[in-house]
Order: sequence, then structure tokens, then C-alpha cells
Amino acid sequence: MSEPSVSVAGVTAHPVIETRGLTKDYGSVVALADLDLEVGGGVTGLVGANGAGKSTLIKILLGLLAPSAGAARVLGQDVATAGDDLRARLGYMPEHDCLPPDVPANEFIVHLARISGLPRAAARERAADVLRHVGLHEERYRLMGGYSTGIKQRAKLAQALAHDPELVFLDEPTNGLDPAARDDMLALVRRIGSEFGIAVLVTSHLLGELERVSDHVVVLDGGRLLRSSRTSDFLGDTGGLLVEVMGDTLDGASARDRMAAALTGAGLSCRPRHHVLAVDPPPAGLPVVHDLIRDAAVELGLGLVRVQPDHGRIEDVFREEGDWGRDH
Amino acid sequence: MTGAVTTEQPQGVIHDIGYRHYDGPRLGRSAILTALFASSLGGVYGLGRSGKAKVLPFGLLALSLMPAFILVAVMVLTPVTEPLLDYPAYATTIQALVCIFAAAQAPVVFSRDLRYGSIVLYLARPITAAGYALARWLGLTTAIFGYLAAPVLVTYVGGLLSKLKPAEETPDAAKTLVLLLLLAAMLASIAGLISSVSVRRGFAVVGSLAVLLLGYPLVLTVQTIAHQEGALRFAEVASLASPFTLYDGLAVRWLPDYVQADQVGVPSDAAMTWTYLAASLVIVGGCLALIVWRHRRLAGR
Repeated sequence: MSEPSVSVAGVTAHPVIETRGLTKDYGSVVALADLDLEVGGGVTGLVGANGAGKSTLIKILLGLLAPSAGAARVLGQDVATAGDDLRARLGYMPEHDCLPPDVPANEFIVHLARISGLPRAAARERAADVLRHVGLHEERYRLMGGYSTGIKQRAKLAQALAHDPELVFLDEPTNGLDPAARDDMLALVRRIGSEFGIAVLVTSHLLGELERVSDHVVVLDGGRLLRSSRTSDFLGDTGGLLVEVMGDTLDGASARDRMAAALTGAGLSCRPRHHVLAVDPPPAGLPVVHDLIRDAAVELGLGLVRVQPDHGRIEDVFREEGDWGRDH
Repeated sequence: MTGAVTTEQPQGVIHDIGYRHYDGPRLGRSAILTALFASSLGGVYGLGRSGKAKVLPFGLLALSLMPAFILVAVMVLTPVTEPLLDYPAYATTIQALVCIFAAAQAPVVFSRDLRYGSIVLYLARPITAAGYALARWLGLTTAIFGYLAAPVLVTYVGGLLSKLKPAEETPDAAKTLVLLLLLAAMLASIAGLISSVSVRRGFAVVGSLAVLLLGYPLVLTVQTIAHQEGALRFAEVASLASPFTLYDGLAVRWLPDYVQADQVGVPSDAAMTWTYLAASLVIVGGCLALIVWRHRRLAGR
């Protein structure tokens, strides 16, 4: 192979996904508009509202959909000319239901591994392996129609990994899962990217869900690239503080609200976020913020539970760079 | 691994050896399509599916084989020296069963993946939509051919085991099998097209039944009326409307010993015989092209 592909601990030297001016126009709807993207190894989160173009992008990268304009390279190959062989190196977990109910997971995944080009014996071995990795045990011998949503999502994930791809597309893998199952799935996604050494492009319409598991986050909005950067850049120190106080409610004002009023009076700007207060970075010329907070708490007779630096969240991207939140 | 460590491990413990990459061979397109073809063929007979899925195909197969076994038994036990039923006549005799088999089992091959959304899992793998559709169609055609050929083979083998002469029987049986392959391809194409358009299994079954099962008696009725009215050419042309009359017409021309009861709707000249053959191939080719087109469209969704 003449490809400049150097794989070190699952991280390829050339970009895993690269798009230039990628556009998909459905006539009345523009699903993707002039998208320039570069995605490396590890886990990449693709975030955007429903209809932001996430699934369209995956279909183009899989070579199932032809772009209206622009080009895309996956694993160093141009998707327009690579042909079907490229898909032998890719895995895909669709967003929607795709499991026939009258077949056990074990047999279905053996079958799909063979359709990916594995010989029969190897397909059996791989199916057993991936089902174990996604945590499907005795259920694998039961018909898939009887599975819970959590087990179905795991079976869908297993088929995407059955042929040991170099890159997997996971379209909304946490859809429909309860919080515990969601955490399990996200942990699994993290493991695929790190421990298994398979590059992952995982989508979610929920902001903030992927920041824990992805190395890199791409934010799409209405088919446009809103932001693409390392997760750590999103989560950098904003210079603000989070303050949590404990105390009595007086005249209908909770401890948090009384604290907010006091801090505002002292010249700080702050807003409530859940049960804590987010204090913006202080304007120049103000005394040390920590002292102000301490004094305010003492004056109001409130207990100071915690004061900690406020790290950014992916939601902030929209606050800063787009009006996405208002439309959806 | 050191021997000292392994001997200390308690027996029967499964170790998590972590994720292993696959570095074995990856087969090419023809092997993949062969695997898909084989699973489609087996799927029609319910193999690899629940026990319930095997009841209908094997039940229908038993029903179609029963007359064949009875014919063989009669031939063995009585002094008959001629075949009791011409080989080509078997398919038209069990026409209703064949239609039910094709109509009920074509959705297994084509509608299931559409209904359950599993088509996308195939299209995301190293095959094209056209390759998928062709492998599926070939599986269905082979399954229907097997269904049609089984009773013919039973009567042929049974006949030879009693008193029939191989020299006389073999050409007829072989020609019949070729024609049955053409009939199977026509039935698979029609039922396959209806099933690949209909997401719901019920619609696919009813639609295929309506076209296949009712088409044949309808054409026969039209031909009988045309015959009575003396419009013989019209009766001939009417045969183009049903796979079974096309098959039967070709069989009458190709097998000299096969005589239809009233010779209605049979090609009267060579040109008409070629027209019958061309019409059969057009049915297969046209439906197959539409099946492929339909799956190409699905790939882009």
C-alpha cells in the first residue's frame, strides 16, 4: 500500500475523514453547505439538532449518497472513486430500528459479518467476540424482537463492529436509552475509540452528551460547520466561577437567589444555573472575587458549599457563535 | 504467558483478553454475493429462522410432492407403461400451490429488509444495491425452481425405477427442467417486484397472489371464449399475459410428446413461439430491472 497511513495506538497520521466544500442539495432543502472538515483518530462527536445534516454527512461518507458538490476522503480514499471495497473498512450503526425481530442476534451478526467479507468460521468467532464486548450474553440466542431498547442498541453496535472496521459511524447511539443505559453506551463508545483502537464518529442531537467521551467535537447547524475543535478547547477555563450556597429561604427568595442579589449589588454579574450560581469573570478594577463571595455569604448568614472554576460546555458554542438554540 | 501463572489460575474461568483485531482474510464481492444468495435461498424455506417460518414452505412442498408420490405408486403397482402425467403438465396442475409459495415467500426475501430497516445494514457493507437485489432475486428464483422441479424429479426417478425407459424419459424431463427454470424466473421477478415495492408483508402477499393466482384462470377463460368465437389468434396472443400460459405454450412446442387437452393458446408457428420466449424474457428482465432500480433508490435515502 502506498498510502501514507501510519497507525500508532489507533491514531492514524492522515485524517480519518476529510471533506472539502462538501454540499448536499435536495432541491428545496440544503442538507450540507460547503462543509470543510478534518477528523482524526479517537472519538469525534458530531453534534447538531435534528436536521442539521448529521445523517446526510454519514451517508455521503459511506458512499451511499452522492454529494451535489465538493469532495470527501475517508481513510485516505476519495468516496466518489473508492468503490464498495472501502465499506469493508467501515462500520455503521444507523439511528433507526434495523433489526429483524425473527432472528437471534448471534445468527444475524454472523450473517452480516459474512456480508462484510469474513469467511464463515471467522464470522462466528467475531460475532461471539463483539457480542461479548457490547455486553450481550444469554440474550444473543433469543429472537431480537423481544429485546429492550438498550439491548437492541447494543446489538446494533455489535453488527457495526463485527468485521473489525477501522472507522465506525454511530448515529445517535444513545437514542431512547434511560440514563443508566446511556452512560453504559457512552462508556462503550469511549472504549471503542481508545481501547479497541477504532476511529469513531458519533452523533448526538443532545448538547453536552458527547463532551465526556469524545476527543474532538464538530458542531453542525443547518448543514453548516459551526465549530470544530478539540473537546478540551470547549471545556477550557472560562475565568468564571460556580458558587453554591446553603441556607434558609427568606420572603420567597432562596439562598441562591439572595446570594445572586448580593453579588449583583457588589458589582458582579451572575446567573443561576440549576442549583448553583454562575459568576461571570469580574470586570477590571474589582477586588478579588473570592473575597467578595465570602463576605456576601457571611453577611447573609449562608453556608458556602463550594466555589469552583466554571469550565465551558458545548452549549456555550451556540451562545457564542450561533442562534441555534432559539430555532430549536 | 508464563507457565507458573497459568497453573495457579482456577479452572473454568473466562478471562477478558480484551479486544482482538481481525487480521484474517477478507473475501471479495463474489464470495459475499454467494453468501447472500445462499441465505436468501435458505430463508425462503425458513432455514436459519424460527421453526414457525419453516411450516408454510415445507407444508406447501409436501402438498406438491404428494401427487407425485401417488403417481409413482400407481405406476409401480399397476401394469401402466406410460407416464401418467406429462412432465410439463405438473407445474400447471399444481399452479395454485406454486403461486401461493411464490407469493408467500417472496416477501421473506424482499419485504423483510425494507419493513425492518435492515436493508441499510446491507447497503453499508461492501456490496452495491444492484448486487444485493440480484443475489436476493437469484435466491428466490432458485427456491421456486426447486419447488417446481422436486415433483418432476420424483416422477422421473420413480418412473425409471419402475418400468419407464431412460432414453425416452430423460430428454423430456431435462427440457421440462429448463422450462421450469424460466417459469421460476418469471414468478420470482413478478412476486419479487411486488414485494420490493410493498413494505408490509400482507400487501405483498395479496398483491402477488392477485397477479399470479388469478391471472392464469383469467387468461384461460378469455381463451376458451375466444376459441368458441373462433378467434384463435386472439387466444394465442392472450397467453402472453400469464407466466403459466407462456410456459405451457413453449412446452407444447418444444416437447413433441406433450399434448395439451384442447391446444388452445398455443403458438401456432415459429414466429409466435419466439414471441412467447421473448415475452417470457421481457417479464424477467423488466421486473428485474425495476427491482434493481428500486433498491438503488433505497440506497440513496
